[in-house]
Amino acid sequence: MSEEHVKKFMSSVDIKARIRAAEKFSEVFNNVVKAVLNGEEPKLIIPKRTLSNTIYDKERGLLLLGPATFERSFLDVKEARKFMQTLLMAKIIYDALINNEYPTIRDLFYRGKHSIRYRDHKGRIEEENTWDEQKESDAVLRDIEVLVNLLREEMLILSKEKGKVVGDMRIRSGDDVIDLSKMGHGAYAIEPTPDLIEFIDVNAEFVLVVEKDAVFQQLHRAGFWRKYKAILVTSAGQPDRATRRFVRRLNEELKLPIYILTDADPYGWYIYSVFRIGSITLSYESERLATPKAKFLGVSMTDIFGDKNKKPYLSEAERRNFIIKAKKTDIKRAQELLNYEWFKTEKWTKEINIFLQKQSKLEIEALTGKGLHFLMDTYIPTKIQTQDFIE
Amino acid sequence: MSVAEKFRSISPAEFFYRNKEIAGFANPARALYQSVRELVENALDATDAHGIFPDIAISIERDQNKAYVYRITVKDNGIGIPENYIPDAFGRVLFSSKYVLRQTRGLFGLGAKMVVLYGQITVGEPAEIVSATINSKKIYKYKIMIDIKENKPIVLERSWWQNKTGWHGTMVKVAVEGDWSKARQKILEYIKRTAIVSPYANIVFRSPDGEIKIYQRVANILPPPPREAKPHPHGVDLEMLKAMISETKAQTLIEFLSDEFQGVGRVLAERFISTYGFDPNINPKNLSKDDLEKLVRALKEFSEFRKPRADHLSPIGSELIKIGLNTILKPEFTDAITRKPVVYEGHSMVVEVGIAYGGAIEPLEEPMLLRFANKIPLLYDEKSDVAWKVVSENIDWSYYDIVFPAPIAILVHVCGTKIPYKGVGKESIAEVPVLEHEIEEGVRHVARSLKLYLAKKQKEEEMARKAITLIKYIPEIARALTVFAKANPEPIQAEVLESKLFDLVKNRFGDSLKNISSPRDVVLSLE
Repeated sequence: MSEEHVKKFMSSVDIKARIRAAEKFSEVFNNVVKAVLNGEEPKLIIPKRTLSNTIYDKERGLLLLGPATFERSFLDVKEARKFMQTLLMAKIIYDALINNEYPTIRDLFYRGKHSIRYRDHKGRIEEENTWDEQKESDAVLRDIEVLVNLLREEMLILSKEKGKVVGDMRIRSGDDVIDLSKMGHGAYAIEPTPDLIEFIDVNAEFVLVVEKDAVFQQLHRAGFWRKYKAILVTSAGQPDRATRRFVRRLNEELKLPIYILTDADPYGWYIYSVFRIGSITLSYESERLATPKAKFLGVSMTDIFGDKNKKPYLSEAERRNFIIKAKKTDIKRAQELLNYEWFKTEKWTKEINIFLQKQSKLEIEALTGKGLHFLMDTYIPTKIQTQDFIE
Repeated sequence: MSVAEKFRSISPAEFFYRNKEIAGFANPARALYQSVRELVENALDATDAHGIFPDIAISIERDQNKAYVYRITVKDNGIGIPENYIPDAFGRVLFSSKYVLRQTRGLFGLGAKMVVLYGQITVGEPAEIVSATINSKKIYKYKIMIDIKENKPIVLERSWWQNKTGWHGTMVKVAVEGDWSKARQKILEYIKRTAIVSPYANIVFRSPDGEIKIYQRVANILPPPPREAKPHPHGVDLEMLKAMISETKAQTLIEFLSDEFQGVGRVLAERFISTYGFDPNINPKNLSKDDLEKLVRALKEFSEFRKPRADHLSPIGSELIKIGLNTILKPEFTDAITRKPVVYEGHSMVVEVGIAYGGAIEPLEEPMLLRFANKIPLLYDEKSDVAWKVVSENIDWSYYDIVFPAPIAILVHVCGTKIPYKGVGKESIAEVPVLEHEIEEGVRHVARSLKLYLAKKQKEEEMARKAITLIKYIPEIARALTVFAKANPEPIQAEVLESKLFDLVKNRFGDSLKNISSPRDVVLSLE
């Protein structure tokens, strides 16, 4: 794309982001060039992305990357392939930045994948791919994120849009203003680079994030967000980075409380914890993606079974109909969660133990099965009003 | 009745005719093989044992009319046979009367005579001999048969011509009954193995089918020629003692002992005589049968004689063994060792062991064993040979990092004035402890050296593998780096970065990169 085209059709926000990222790349990798020209061992010093180098910052409620680093040297036989992959990936990203492109991680994989034909030490001719699976190129991309200290969004790398939002709010995306209250039956798909979104104005009191897209649509069309002055978000399953960053900004910049509604099972709980604290594999981005103040609204085990101070939302007969027996993998996952530092609170321990005892789970849809208006006008408002949530 | 006693009661020629399987002429195939062997060994003994680099031409022709009849011709450039001795050398079967000992190839002291005799019996043609000694003005040609009953040569034709070229050597042509198709494998193998231990020889072989095998001389050194040595007292038996006494010029026992034996001087002879109470001044020719038997026992028993000498032996030498193995087997590694002499029943022996590994050698389930006794290849009865016991039972090859199937050949050469053969065929060596020990130590020595070689090779390969693991990524890395090098005032070429990266690898892996001078020697274009 020529400069002219860029200026004419591209958003000024993107162009600035590109220049910033390209400069960072030049700085880091020019050092490698210098080392090679000076006859020094070329190496990259990369923060470790391992569980042991993942620190749970209790005060801030975040999973953070620790101080440990490792050296990836060209002259280290075990690291040489990764060294090559890292530089290959850096080159592809840098080329894309310079050429005003928006690669996806799949694009990066294909752009870098090719064969190296070589003669081995016994004279046999062999072929090796720069990388074989996207898993490999994805891992190298994560290394580059921590190495140059830029998230992929900041490098203008796109991913599939998954998260959606509606509500009484106006934003600027690119050079356009979008009114999130005028999306019809649809919703605004949260762009992969949420940092480039500008919040213009908002008229809402809280944010409700629902795991399930179907429940999001039901609440949207029933006018939930208008009636209760809410921003309604769905992650459609495991939240992607853009949705998490968007939710974080709603909380941090607009000071809106965040309530998260998931299935009542270990996977639902983990979705909540990804929103709140971050994930282990991506702890380096938690600082920017996690929302430590996000609250788990439900569905909780006590909502189903009640406890000594609380009447359950479901009758005996409804429980019998809606509850699903937990699978072995659910039980195993729940036991794992008990070991995570950030689940070791009184409320979560109780929650998980009820689950282990009852060996039962429940989907949000079960509550709409009791009636959409039960969910919308009874369950959610009551939970918020009585502050019946877990942090 | 001992063989020698039997020998006196009938003509020696007749005796061997009746016992031809003992001399290796049991059937047409074996006889053809044995005939070639006897003539080739004579040819080699006439050359290398006299400091001459051998040129040997062997041919076997099939008779046009008669089945199973072959004419063997062996020609050498040796010392030749004095004209007046030619008829006896080929026409009279004799036990050698000499009592000096010498390491020779000939197994029975019969050599060509047995071939002539066998040929005469089976085909009936006279043997043809052409010979000239060194500096002889004439070349002589004889046609000879043997009078079996009388054991004497019959000269059918004798002629001579001027030796204009100064040629010396011997050519023998004998027609024998044989079976080439059954003997072919063994004869080819015999010649090949002979070439292994005589890389200083030119050997040309033409088979009845017209195929020609040429083994070129590749070494310009000869093993030391074997020299004659007097018998050691520990190695003498009654027959030999009698023969020695009949030939000696010594007038007294003490003179006889100190003059005719090795390891015995005047002082030791005196001590020996006084220890056993012999009369020092008795003429040995006057000793009674009882005295002789007592003397033999005492000579074997007395422990103070000096050890038998070995400097008269002719080992091949580790250098020639390595050259031979390298040339014929084309392996990637060879080593060889000549062990120190040892003594067996009054005779000294030297064991030599060679090893060849890899290269053109086929991997086999067990080591390929190449056995030699006094430079003669032993092809039969392998499994009953002491060397086989050593390589297959005594040695744990896994200790030397050899896992079968493996491409490995072991050469074992035993040389001495008396080889402890097993059985009458003289094709395998007996399990004599001192010999077994020598062979085992020799095999262990060369196996250790192979182990070291393999370890070094593996290490080098590992280094090369590691270096290539890095080098193969250089073009990719250089290409990526040029993108970031753009900011420099002058553009940097990928080639510059490639060679800089290659230098880094070279500095780290140095020696293992002998054959690689640039990353482009490793990374190939995909087109």
